[in-house]
Amino acid sequence: MSPEPAAAPERRALRIVHRRHFASWVFAALVLAFVAVVVSAGVKSRILDLGVVGRYIFSPEIVTGAINSIALGTVALFLAFAVGLVIALMRVSGNPILVGFSATYVYLFRGTPMLIQLIFWFNAFPTMFKELHLEVFGWVLIDVPMTRLITPYLAALLGLSLAEGAYMAEIIRGGILAVDTGQRDAARSIGMTTGRLMRKIVLPQAARIIVPATGNQYIMLLKSTSLASTIGYLELLRITTDIYSANFRVVELLTVAAFWYLVMTAFATALQTGLEKKFPHR
Amino acid sequence: MDPVISVQRVTKRRGAQAVLADVSVEVPRGQVVALLGPSGAGKSTLLRCINHLDTIDEGRIFVEGDLIGYKEEGDRMYELPDRAISRQRTKVGMVFQSFNLFRHLTALGNVMAGPINVLGMSRSEADALARKLLAQVGLSEKVASYPNQLSGGQQQRVAIARALAMSPSVMLLDEPTSALDPELTQEVIASIHQLARQGLTLMIATHEMAIARDFADRVLFMVHGELVEDAPSAEFFRAPRHERAKQFVARQE
Repeated sequence: MSPEPAAAPERRALRIVHRRHFASWVFAALVLAFVAVVVSAGVKSRILDLGVVGRYIFSPEIVTGAINSIALGTVALFLAFAVGLVIALMRVSGNPILVGFSATYVYLFRGTPMLIQLIFWFNAFPTMFKELHLEVFGWVLIDVPMTRLITPYLAALLGLSLAEGAYMAEIIRGGILAVDTGQRDAARSIGMTTGRLMRKIVLPQAARIIVPATGNQYIMLLKSTSLASTIGYLELLRITTDIYSANFRVVELLTVAAFWYLVMTAFATALQTGLEKKFPHR
Repeated sequence: MDPVISVQRVTKRRGAQAVLADVSVEVPRGQVVALLGPSGAGKSTLLRCINHLDTIDEGRIFVEGDLIGYKEEGDRMYELPDRAISRQRTKVGMVFQSFNLFRHLTALGNVMAGPINVLGMSRSEADALARKLLAQVGLSEKVASYPNQLSGGQQQRVAIARALAMSPSVMLLDEPTSALDPELTQEVIASIHQLARQGLTLMIATHEMAIARDFADRVLFMVHGELVEDAPSAEFFRAPRHERAKQFVARQE
């Protein structure tokens, strides 16, 4: 029996009933009804021929396109990270010229549409510089016309990396600034040089802010590879468009493309979750 | 005997205001110096200048005979390159008011960081040293804890072990107990007292009477960036001379 003395007979232990959120359940029901209406309308009007989707979803061209997209996005992310790191370090360096340069870089590359930048690298850049000529003491190392050098892939890679680099610079700068100056004082006081304290103390701590944001940027970048379709790089969207302009199965082929973009996003999300565990918040 | 720390006519300005005004002080080896004075008197700044975490505008600071942070050439003092200043700092341990433990490293990792990255010690050697020092400050159980898993007092004791790991010839403690509640203050004071007994040269900016009266050899009292009183600890508390110092001592009674 309870060890409570019998002195307080009125104070029985009552069951506690928490407040119920009726309104949110009513709204949830409305949402469910809306979804049901949309799905049933779609099924009734046969918007999608699943047979066609099935025929293309794992077809060699589509898979090649998906691989090209993920390769372009991934290489661009690494380059963007390198660009971003350099720009961010310039920005926090305190040197007025470096600060000015990095601020201008971020403004230009973040401030103009990626699509314009891609077209610029593919169309405008080779007409500005007709050829790449590099010689050292009379030894000709490279001598090619720019139009040959700047393939759709290279133009897309340049465009995406440099534009994304501006976003990465801001993310990395934010991460660096989030590490308080006390950490730097402490690292200096045990005799670390500026470079070493950056590598050993500041950047590892900035990583827990940089990593999740970079994961987001990776997802954005994977989808932004579709912009390369406009300059003729054979990535997922370009291949999809080429197929449906021949057979007019627009809905099915866009569904196939969407499926592969979702696969890429799932992959990037898994990678991000794994990396976040490596840099836990402390 | 040569002083370990020699501050010679040091002035530091922030805008028009002097945060350190013509400060001179010599600290012989093994002395424990308490640095007292109201907030904003320049106590922290003086300590930071001795480690060249802050720059000075006039004067010279020597640690173990080395001119800190600068090189004299002709009638100029040129600031030393990063690498040379870093080497000088290895001789000077510093403990901060807000602990400043490296948050991504365990207690052990914090203490090992200096020996491995700066002194080039092997991992196993650094590990043994760090365990020994953490045991000395009573934290053998906590080697694997991260700073956010430790109390303020424990964090400050790790910070003391981290500074000791560089085997410095002096330790500068910048209000080491100001961020702690009274109970945790006691454990940190015990660790500092132990340093004093080991014969380490200490300069401690503090508001804590237990430090200044009970085991400091000497008290420096600062007001508005000026060193207004410099006396043996017992004498300072018995008969303070400066007006602000009198008020300060009277308040402690």
